[in-house]
Amino acid sequence: MIHTTSHDDGITVVRPSAERLTAVNATEFKKDVVALIDQDASQIIIDFENVSFLDSSGLGALVGVLKKIGHRGDLLVCGLNSDVLQMFRVCRMDRVFAIHKDVDAALRAIRERP
Amino acid sequence: MTSKTFHMVNQLEAVDTMVQTLRAEVDTFLSPETCFRFEICLSETLTNLAIHAKAKTSDVPVEIGLTIESKTASVEIFDPLGVQPFDLRNHAKDLAEVDTLAEGGRGLGLIMECADEVNYGPTGSRNRLSLIFRDQT
Repeated sequence: MIHTTSHDDGITVVRPSAERLTAVNATEFKKDVVALIDQDASQIIIDFENVSFLDSSGLGALVGVLKKIGHRGDLLVCGLNSDVLQMFRVCRMDRVFAIHKDVDAALRAIRERP
Repeated sequence: MTSKTFHMVNQLEAVDTMVQTLRAEVDTFLSPETCFRFEICLSETLTNLAIHAKAKTSDVPVEIGLTIESKTASVEIFDPLGVQPFDLRNHAKDLAEVDTLAEGGRGLGLIMECADEVNYGPTGSRNRLSLIFRDQT
């Protein structure tokens, strides 16, 4: 369910392989990202550039990933299209997740963190 | 005015295809913002039915009626025969009250927040959820 790119400084960029994250695939997405965290990935950027739609199940999976990473690391999201961004806003998730324009912006932000 | 009827097998795997089909029907009639609200509501509604609505037979289809007139789309989703009535208006939680770290519990609240009108009740021998979406002026 995911494609990953690992950077030398320990940052992992995750791209969901499904264009639409819904109830039918959200659990698998969460499982795959949690597996990365269990393998010690602690700085994760989830790139939604190729995701055109996300429902509450997809959002719930993302929250589950956030809870898994907890205070041990960082989770940023980027590449949200207008519908996915609107979904974050309607569910007040724009107050919970650090949202960036694209992967480059997210990488800059995560590298600037103390 | 255009009216069409669709049928969906009441299984989770069938939901997203139906959602995309319905979205394509309204794309040229409604604004992008209204289409977003429409698509979210249909996804949440049909997912809820597929997961929670237990009919006496597993292959009872869901009937969906779509009417488009001017800048308004009206959707009727009929409960499959044998399914217990469920009025989501009595169960939906305000999205502002959902724990931000909750992994579930937003679906019904999303429907209430995104649809312009939500009604549920019997029509003939069936129960029906009615959702209306209008372009905001």
